[in-house]
Amino acid sequence: MTAETTPALVEDGRQTAAGPRVPRGSAYPRYLAGKVAGAAVSLLAVLVTSFFLFRLIPGDPVKTMTGGRQVSAEQLAAYREEFGLGLPLWRQFTDYCGKALTGDFGTSYQFRAPVVDKITEALPNTLLLTGGAFVLYTALGIFLGTRSAWRHGKLGDRFNTGLALTLYSIPSFWLGLLLITVLSVGIGPLPGMFPTGGMESGGKEGFAYVVDVAHHLVLPVVTLVAVEYGQTLLVTRSALLDEMGGDYLTTARAKGLRDDLVRRRHAVPNAMLPTVTLIFINLGRTVAGVILVETVFSWPGLGGLFYQALSVPDLPLVQGLFFVFAAAVIVMNTLADLVYPLLDPRVAR
Amino acid sequence: MTTTTGTASGPRALARQRRRASAARFWRRYRAERAGLYGLTVLALCALLALCAPLFVGADVSSVTDAPGRPMQSPSAEFPLGTDQFGRDLLGLVVWGSRVSLLVGLLAAVLSVSIGTLIGITAGHFKGWYATVMMRITDWFLVMPTLVLAIALATVMSRSLTTIVVAIGVTTWPTTARLVRAQTLAVETRPYIERAKALGGGHWHLMSRHVLPNVMPLVLAQTTLIISSAILAEATLAFLGLGDPAIVSWGGLLQDAREAGAVSAGDWWYLVPPGIAIAVVALAFTLCGRAVESVLNPRLGVSR
Amino acid sequence: MGTNDQTRKLPRGLRLVAVAGAAALTLTAGLATPLDPAPRQARAADDGKQVLTVAVAQSVDSLSPFLAVRLLSTSIHRLMYEYLTGYDPKDNHAIPGLATRWEPSPDKLTWTYTIRSNSRWSDGERATAEDAAWTFNKMMTDDGAATANGSYVGNFRRVTAPSPTKLVIELKKPQATMTALDVPIVPKHVWEKVTDFSEFNNDKSFPVVGNGPFVLTGYKADSYVRLKANKNFWRGTPKFDELVFRYYKDQDAAVSALRKGEVSFVAGSPSLTPAQAASLEGADDIKVNDAPGRRFYALATNPGAKAKNGKRFGDGHPSLLDRRVRNALFMAVDREAIIDKVFQGHAVEGEGYIPPRFQDYFWKPAANQKLVYDPAKAARLLDRAGYRKNGDGKRVGKDGKPITYRVLCHATDPNDKAVGKYLQEWWGELGIGVRLNCLDNVTDPWLAGEYDLAFDGWSVNPDPDFVLSIHTCGALPATPQDTGATDNFICDRKYDELYARQLAEYDPAKRADIVKRMESRLYDLGYMNVMAYPNAVEAYRTDQIKSITTMPAKAGNIYGQDGYWSWWSAVPADSGGSSDSASSTGVVVAIVAGAVLLGGLGAFAAMRRRATAEDRE
Repeated sequence: MTAETTPALVEDGRQTAAGPRVPRGSAYPRYLAGKVAGAAVSLLAVLVTSFFLFRLIPGDPVKTMTGGRQVSAEQLAAYREEFGLGLPLWRQFTDYCGKALTGDFGTSYQFRAPVVDKITEALPNTLLLTGGAFVLYTALGIFLGTRSAWRHGKLGDRFNTGLALTLYSIPSFWLGLLLITVLSVGIGPLPGMFPTGGMESGGKEGFAYVVDVAHHLVLPVVTLVAVEYGQTLLVTRSALLDEMGGDYLTTARAKGLRDDLVRRRHAVPNAMLPTVTLIFINLGRTVAGVILVETVFSWPGLGGLFYQALSVPDLPLVQGLFFVFAAAVIVMNTLADLVYPLLDPRVAR
Repeated sequence: MTTTTGTASGPRALARQRRRASAARFWRRYRAERAGLYGLTVLALCALLALCAPLFVGADVSSVTDAPGRPMQSPSAEFPLGTDQFGRDLLGLVVWGSRVSLLVGLLAAVLSVSIGTLIGITAGHFKGWYATVMMRITDWFLVMPTLVLAIALATVMSRSLTTIVVAIGVTTWPTTARLVRAQTLAVETRPYIERAKALGGGHWHLMSRHVLPNVMPLVLAQTTLIISSAILAEATLAFLGLGDPAIVSWGGLLQDAREAGAVSAGDWWYLVPPGIAIAVVALAFTLCGRAVESVLNPRLGVSR
Repeated sequence: MGTNDQTRKLPRGLRLVAVAGAAALTLTAGLATPLDPAPRQARAADDGKQVLTVAVAQSVDSLSPFLAVRLLSTSIHRLMYEYLTGYDPKDNHAIPGLATRWEPSPDKLTWTYTIRSNSRWSDGERATAEDAAWTFNKMMTDDGAATANGSYVGNFRRVTAPSPTKLVIELKKPQATMTALDVPIVPKHVWEKVTDFSEFNNDKSFPVVGNGPFVLTGYKADSYVRLKANKNFWRGTPKFDELVFRYYKDQDAAVSALRKGEVSFVAGSPSLTPAQAASLEGADDIKVNDAPGRRFYALATNPGAKAKNGKRFGDGHPSLLDRRVRNALFMAVDREAIIDKVFQGHAVEGEGYIPPRFQDYFWKPAANQKLVYDPAKAARLLDRAGYRKNGDGKRVGKDGKPITYRVLCHATDPNDKAVGKYLQEWWGELGIGVRLNCLDNVTDPWLAGEYDLAFDGWSVNPDPDFVLSIHTCGALPATPQDTGATDNFICDRKYDELYARQLAEYDPAKRADIVKRMESRLYDLGYMNVMAYPNAVEAYRTDQIKSITTMPAKAGNIYGQDGYWSWWSAVPADSGGSSDSASSTGVVVAIVAGAVLLGGLGAFAAMRRRATAEDRE
């Protein structure tokens, strides 16, 4: 997931500085309708892709499913019937879309359970991990980003930026492995302090359960925060620096307002815009973005499920998960587009 | 960047001279970016190491039948970074692995940026339905979770370096396309383009002679930044076991280390070097990319 | 004042960092000192219950005995339900399970089982022959219920229960495996309410009614499976009160958890790697159990895939149809090096098809029959077969092209990849190219016959019928479109004759003799070249488990036994330390973490307020 953040950094650093085209005044409802319609089209496109992309995986899912066991032609046909694989591709496709629109993504081949059930089972776990990490890295990124911008060029700024860039270049799975080696297994005199993986020890209830889960959360969250906060920091910092060169700040200063007051009252709110966009983009990515961390820490979430499903391949589950991953991004991007004009103080509402 | 005489009708020598001058100017400004210089130095060293690797390690460093050591030896004078589970010299493997990691990073970035540039320029140049369709496709790729898509592609295709390059290239181009398109639109409003059109310049002529040179600096910055993420992506895919197991790369080494049980055994010497190598190279490319960016567009203030 | 203000703020920021840093250090130190050796977590329980936690690297596919095929799930079913018969932990001979006695009729076609009267379901009902008959009949009539174990009832004609203690099974043909029916018997009064067996996973309401040594009390996908001791188990109550299988995506994480005492046992499936075993052998209170495995690890050769109707399919390399080529390839495989380097001693060199652990059926080639490692001889053999080297030193096939074999390997198995690297170099010396085709899912090219060679391996049961049956012509798919039970399309008349004879032979010694002749035939054919018998390397904490039964009793394995012996027999170690250290670790962590968080927030808020106060001045 570190891998996929970099292009976003490039994009946000450069594009969101300009921001989306912001509508003025009464144009907002039309703008809103346009964005929502666009999102709906994207969702449909994702649905189509999820169906066709994974059909490219070579082989016969029914044979894979029954692999190793003797199965007669009649039984294979029965399975094909059951999973709707005997139908022509276009019929399978329309069936799939029709059902998907009602929230039914079929039955998982390997778990013999509705895909929706498997997803709703794992989703809260993923959200707990990524949600926690998201709040922390966003807060940390904004906090350090503003500080860095305020004293740009100074030692503190250089240290901050350098550290952020370095952590940002580290593969998250590697950091996770190191943290496990050092803090879970323990090295030399240092004992292991945190669980090596999983989400709970099992068999605990009430408060003890909460504490147990929190204990398991520490290392994966630290890993995610470490590799993710840099982006928020850099975007916040560069947006703030841009803003600080603005004419109106000079005017404000000329009116005799003190430096930091000018910054807090005028510069920060404006500079927050690119950051807000980034926050929404990050929110959308949180769902898909933890495959690696979930793998390294044995976290029972969507990422692990996806990987497991792909290796079978468990087509219905893969399709459902892919849709969820992409849908999260689309929904959050759309929300960002909708919120953006409402936040921009330069736009009269 | 471009002055008044941009058409090919002008004398070649003049064009060359102008390009030399702007390259010199670029280098002068780049030199002022200290982080960028560090990055460049590190990269030069890494490239040198990777290119010279055959001279002092050689392909037989990855041979299992002639492995010199015992399995999983900790660092010693003979093996400065210890050995892997086959008894192969890890220092040699890390050096040898740089060739694959850098190569894949470069190729994937070139592929990604080429696709992005092609679509960006054409979508900016030919407006109308073509542009609409292209930009919809771009937007659609932009919302796809990159890693998920790359994993899916790598699963669909057979395990090889080409697969990894394609999987990364095909999933990371949309940002480039959007940036290049914006730049193309800006370039095409300039007066000399009008003149070139009036003089009968065709689409190909306009795009290759006028637009492309003007978006090149942007493409350069973009390439540098994407190499960084491509190297990370290569490591990620190899780590998830989607790489070619017969080829030594940094991500592959980490995957081997994990499979061999280096984490629980506390064999840090097996885990640390490949990860550091990945981080250093990715960081160096990022630093260079940011430096190029800020030279080209000082208003960005990324490293002011 | 502005500049003054600025200089004052920097230290404040630093102070915050310092506070956080100090707190983090306290956290580290606080955890490190008093709780340092806190390995009793796995067995800890608030009310003094003895809990045995087993780390597994496999997730549950289904908890329904009719659907489950993975080792973890079937192992759990052994704990939940009784089977008709069991295997003696010492030497694998059939012993009473739910049935106390069994007897074939003189015509070998009717088996009568006497069902014990002292086995009760956990809801109080008695387990009877009616339950067994219902289970088998369901599998014979409902395709969904036949998913996992249908092959066991394929030869059944009729199953009846004339009385609660009498079960009668009528066969179509004689079958020597009637005391090796590994089918969990489920309670009829619970399962007859199930409507769709192909989708019922038995994981919604707990506890699940059973009559094995443990009762399933909880399950969370990809997290854990919990079982509690069955106090009324007829063979006696297990010593541990609870048994938890905890899922780790990654074996290495499981090993770390064992080191720390989060779990009591790490399953050797997949086997611990040599590095893991070596590091655990040096650790305190941990015993590594390096048991002779029940698997063989072989190199299968594509004999030209074909279906029962005679249609050929797939694209195996034609040169492999020449037995000399197959033998030459295997003679260039240094089995000793594989044991030494890849398994690092945690395996035994391969000989016949069935591992030495099953001594009754173990066979090894005679000295003149054995394909000894000899690359020079292999090269000569290839020359003689007409596959000579060209100018570049590559051997050329009959089609004039240099030979490169595609070797199918499991991407998830490090041993496949490691041995594959050696093959590339050994066969490279012979002048033969190797392309490793490592996939997560090898089923597709495998079933389609689209490979030249493949890494192959099966776990062998005490009764070898299954692993023998997968090389018969009868196991071939009916047509290229079907799926057969065949392993890699071997079809040999002589082998088949022997197979039929052993299946109808009810005398164990005579049957074993026939089985050995089958192994000899298989060895000579050269389609299944057994390279090694990997050990089952597993480990457990001696400060949590005092003793545990291995199978076979002498130098056997613990996880994945043919029975419930290990978990049923495990004796907890005397609890040395306080049993609640786990929860206290958690509480300390939570308190410290909470304090750090609050402190940080407080400092931040205070800083902000002061800053705004200054602004207003």
